[in-house]
Amino acid sequence: MAGMKTASGDYIDSSWELRVFVGEEDPEAESVTLRVTGESHIGGVLLKIVEQINRKQDWSDHAIWWEQKRQWLLQTHWTLDKYGILADARLFFGPQHRPVILRLPNRRALRLRASFSQPLFQAVAAICRLLSIRHPEELSLLRAPEKKEKKKKEKEPEEELYDLSKVVLAGGVAPAVFRGMPAHFSDSAQTEACYHMLSRPQPPPDPLLLQRLPRPSSLSDKTQLHSRWLDSSRCLMQQGIKAGDVLWLRFKYYSFFDLDPKTDPVRLTQLYEQARWDLLLEEIDCTEEEMMVFAALQYHINKLSQSGEVGEPAGTDPGLDDLDAALSNLEVKLEGSAPTDVLDSLTTIPELKDYLRIFRPRKLTLKGYRQHWVVFKETTLSYYKSQDECTGPGAGGVQLSLSLAVVPDVNVSGQKFCIKLLVPSPEGMSEIYLRCQDEQQYARWMAGCRLASKGRTMADSSYASEVQAILAFLSLQRTGGGGPGNHPQGPDASAEGLNPYGLVAPRFQRKFKAKQLTPRILEAHQNVAQLSLAEAQLRFIQAWQSLPDFGISYVMVRFKGSRKDEILGIANNRLIRIDLAVGDVVKTWRFSNMRQWNVNWDIRQVAIEFDEHINVAFSCVSASCRIVHEYIGGYIFLSTRERARGEELDEDLFLQLTGGHEAF
Amino acid sequence: MGESSEDIDQMFSTLLGEMDLLTQSLGVDTLPPPDPNPPRAEFNYSVGFKDLNESLNALEDQDLEALMADLVADISEAEQRTIQAQKESSQNQYHSASLQASNFSGAAPLGHGTNVAATGISQYEDDLPPPPADPVLDLPLPPPPPEPLSQEEEEAQAKADKIKLALEKLKEAKVKKLVVKVHMDDNSTKSLMVDERQLARDVLDNLFEKTHCDCNVDWCLYEIYPELQIERFFEDHENVVEVLSDWTRDTENKVLFLQKEEKYAVFKNPQNFYLDNRGKKESKETNEKMNAKNKESLLEESFCGTSIIVPELEGALYLKEDGKKSWKRRYFLLRASGIYYVPKGKTKTSRDLACFIQFENVNIYYGTQHKMKYKAPTDYCFVLKHPQIQKESQYIKYLCCDDARTLNQWVMGIRIAKYGKTLYDNYQRAVAKAGLASRWTNLGTVNAAAPAQPSTGPINGTASPMTDAPRAAAQRHAETSKDKKPALGNHHDPAAPRAPHAPKSSLPPPPPVRKSSDTSGSPATPPKAKGTGGGGFPSPPDDFLPPPPPPPPLEDPELPPPPAEFMEPPPDFVPPPPPSCAGNGGLELPPPPPPPPAPAPDSARPSPAVAKRPPMPPKRHENPGTPGGAGGGEQDFMSDLMKALQKKRGNVS
Repeated sequence: MAGMKTASGDYIDSSWELRVFVGEEDPEAESVTLRVTGESHIGGVLLKIVEQINRKQDWSDHAIWWEQKRQWLLQTHWTLDKYGILADARLFFGPQHRPVILRLPNRRALRLRASFSQPLFQAVAAICRLLSIRHPEELSLLRAPEKKEKKKKEKEPEEELYDLSKVVLAGGVAPAVFRGMPAHFSDSAQTEACYHMLSRPQPPPDPLLLQRLPRPSSLSDKTQLHSRWLDSSRCLMQQGIKAGDVLWLRFKYYSFFDLDPKTDPVRLTQLYEQARWDLLLEEIDCTEEEMMVFAALQYHINKLSQSGEVGEPAGTDPGLDDLDAALSNLEVKLEGSAPTDVLDSLTTIPELKDYLRIFRPRKLTLKGYRQHWVVFKETTLSYYKSQDECTGPGAGGVQLSLSLAVVPDVNVSGQKFCIKLLVPSPEGMSEIYLRCQDEQQYARWMAGCRLASKGRTMADSSYASEVQAILAFLSLQRTGGGGPGNHPQGPDASAEGLNPYGLVAPRFQRKFKAKQLTPRILEAHQNVAQLSLAEAQLRFIQAWQSLPDFGISYVMVRFKGSRKDEILGIANNRLIRIDLAVGDVVKTWRFSNMRQWNVNWDIRQVAIEFDEHINVAFSCVSASCRIVHEYIGGYIFLSTRERARGEELDEDLFLQLTGGHEAF
Repeated sequence: MGESSEDIDQMFSTLLGEMDLLTQSLGVDTLPPPDPNPPRAEFNYSVGFKDLNESLNALEDQDLEALMADLVADISEAEQRTIQAQKESSQNQYHSASLQASNFSGAAPLGHGTNVAATGISQYEDDLPPPPADPVLDLPLPPPPPEPLSQEEEEAQAKADKIKLALEKLKEAKVKKLVVKVHMDDNSTKSLMVDERQLARDVLDNLFEKTHCDCNVDWCLYEIYPELQIERFFEDHENVVEVLSDWTRDTENKVLFLQKEEKYAVFKNPQNFYLDNRGKKESKETNEKMNAKNKESLLEESFCGTSIIVPELEGALYLKEDGKKSWKRRYFLLRASGIYYVPKGKTKTSRDLACFIQFENVNIYYGTQHKMKYKAPTDYCFVLKHPQIQKESQYIKYLCCDDARTLNQWVMGIRIAKYGKTLYDNYQRAVAKAGLASRWTNLGTVNAAAPAQPSTGPINGTASPMTDAPRAAAQRHAETSKDKKPALGNHHDPAAPRAPHAPKSSLPPPPPVRKSSDTSGSPATPPKAKGTGGGGFPSPPDDFLPPPPPPPPLEDPELPPPPAEFMEPPPDFVPPPPPSCAGNGGLELPPPPPPPPAPAPDSARPSPAVAKRPPMPPKRHENPGTPGGAGGGEQDFMSDLMKALQKKRGNVS
């Protein structure tokens, strides 16, 4: 026992005084002084500290942080000597878990307690478990970018801060599901709201905000982000993060394993959000056509999540459609009618008939729209000069099978409700314009044409919802897109309607007027209108993954022997050397051909050897070579995952692949 | 309530009875009444044909008779199946059915006289005959009303079931069928009946049965438009009748049955599509010799992720200008969402690209001899058009490539973008079919193993792992450890001792050696395979026998192991080294991992000598690894068989 004294008060053992501050790295904090020897164990010291503080409190999360060495003293059986602690050591006795504010992929802020003492890899895994995101190895934390102090006058509106800092997860066990969410979220209304925030897509951002947010204008801008990744083999404390700091949680490795809409609502949503923001902020480029699809999906997803229609919409299974229709038909018909009628009713298909104005552009004709009696049955559109004329099938009329109509091209503006049909025929495409009188008529015919173009008839149960969707979109256009002079143009005018500008990247805002954008989004929407929320999100993610530039993290490097900076793109299967100025791919190396890589930490150089004696070496400019190293190792780690192993993680392997530059 | 439900039931019964009658009277595609299960129906159907194969072959030029015979066969089959009691009552109907059938075949020549393939096609969508008279009570009625147990749900369930049954029968009765004349590669033709639900795959299977060909994956249905001089293969998942119904009545289009190696070229040599470094000669050479495992991982990466990867493809192509015979050179790019081009004066960044075409409603065709027809710069043309367009039109897009390689890349790339994972699924089905077929031939007659087989050999080799789960897993495992090796490599780390975590380095999944010895030790492995697995590959395996008839074991073609190549870096060659040890730069040799079987530590010993060497190069390593692996647990039945065959051959010769 340390602290034996003689009668005169001199210490006779080799004990000395150790001062320990209580609290989180605050020099003003209260401190306790203990009498210890070099042989004292950390565990004993902890005990003494608690005794001295003499306060009833749960100290179990507390541990000692050694400030000079930037190290936690977590091995309770080690002695002070073994750690090399002397009397001058500045030690802090504080909690290992501290609150931080996480900026999620959906840009919402969430306060929770993160481990400051475990390697970041484990800390992220714990966070993800709390948020119920599987495969935490794909995510990591970034430092928040430094706020530019110059414009303080524009006080940012207080944003809602979700709080999960009081939620504690029982270790080890997979969180049980309760009321459709992991049990730990169902404790209070507050946490429940938090789960909804996590698992449901956010509404589209305000277009003005979108324009204000910083966007990368060049490749070198895109490298900035990647300099902020935290080191996953060290703990937050070691990386200078303090309690209450803002950190970004993002998917870091673009290799999403086993994405399952059923088990991954939060993961899927957050991934969708990250993809969406990537596109909206032009972190990744896409073409106009692709943007329209993305916008349509966003519109659709938003609509579903607003209406709370999280489950599958009806009508996904055509077989069941038939069955439902048949059942209801039968029930109606069974009241004493003959069997033949039953047979008939099973195959009866609703039809549309009306006077519409039709225009068929032909060479050398100047004729405009002409009134015709139009009958739309099954997937065939027939038109006649008048209603009387349509006596027999095809009598005097023209029939068009829409079974494979290309695009019912929409052209809606003001009170002009036209449907442009491109009908394929052996000779080529024929164009036909149908002009309807009002919204209702338009919606019915349009819905019919759309279904027909997919080979379905109006008996399909999705017909009604299709009509509704079209009406909804029309009203959207009136409010958001600014009808002819009804509303002032501009985003502010859209109170209840949706602004198409919130769905596309700002450069399309500059390129198109809202009313140009809306019909194009509508057109793209028809292909996705049947998707459920999860399917739509998945589709969005897939389309994002299909972009050629998907999943490339850029860092600025200087290749050995080169005089100028270049960009190194790191993707999940390859490294890409990119010309900084032009953006052209100079060379690609695949990880599968890689033999080894080395990092020389002294000269900050990464050297990679590929098959056939190809050697590449570069030094890192925009980010530390630790980040490049970790990216490469991380991707190789991810490629070792197997379905069979489930969600167990070989953490040591990960740390080996990504760490190794420092003793820990 | 009770009464009305009884009514309902009765009505169902009558309805069902009628359906049964109807289907039977149609005579084709008859179902055993209790089990209206489409796939099985197809099976029955093809069985019907099989019996007639001989006669069909004999009567090839008189296909109609053959078809007729088919029909009759079907009917008689149905006859057998029906219950005795029924027979009497419904004999009249059978009679009329056969009448119907003969009527039909009598009408058919009209369609066929004009060398028209599928079109003229007697297309008999049978109208439902008027419902027969009511008293058909002795028909096998559906289960009696569930009244005794009557809970509402159960009733509803039963009701739903019956309606489903009724609907299916209804559909059955309305199935549309075409008689398609297929041109074989030997200039003969065969006619076969294709029903509305059959996919190209089904038709191919059908043809396989009729022709006794080797069933390899290259066989395809091929459509040719003589007028437009374009052609393409049916994708296996395409509905044949649907495609053919786009043809006009007087069309000269033809359906062919032939082998095209382009069909699944991407799955045989993915590197040619995914790793092609445009035009660099050196890459071409390296591409050729990619080994099976790398191919597989490349495929897996490209086709098995959340979304498929469309090969990066861009370059200058010639585009035929609308309505003119002039061709304009433009820079095109392939993306998953369509083909784009770079407008004049713009760069090829995403934001500048202009969309040329999207794939939703177009099919891709090869153009033949467009140099002549349209004055194309070369004969390597491809064409995009809506499937319904059959004549020259401004809506048809003609593109022309510089060489055949580029053409194939574009066509394949577009197919991948258009069909996505379906293409891969098709391929796997085709492989399964081919594998099954070759297994059958092997089983059947030793001699019939036939010279055609070797061509399927390599295909099986690359493919079967994908269908064979454990094996795939094993391979992936092997790769896993491969991937790790570079990682464990020596990060020069002057300052930090690796002590704290070094011991852990034994934890990562064991080096391949452990695996292979594991598998070779596994009881399931045939003794012979064990020999190869443990004993080491250098001893020239029997694969080196001259290639004749029986196909060599699966992997061989992919791993020609010229010893020279193996031997050159001796240290690497140390058979099953635990690369992780070597990888650690010899800093410390981790204690032999707990579970490894005996051989491992032994073979580990040599490696410290080469400790400073980088870890085993993955490639070198795989080569030895695979034969061992193949010899080990991954052996499947087929390769066993082949080996046995081979041995036999060897003995004989």
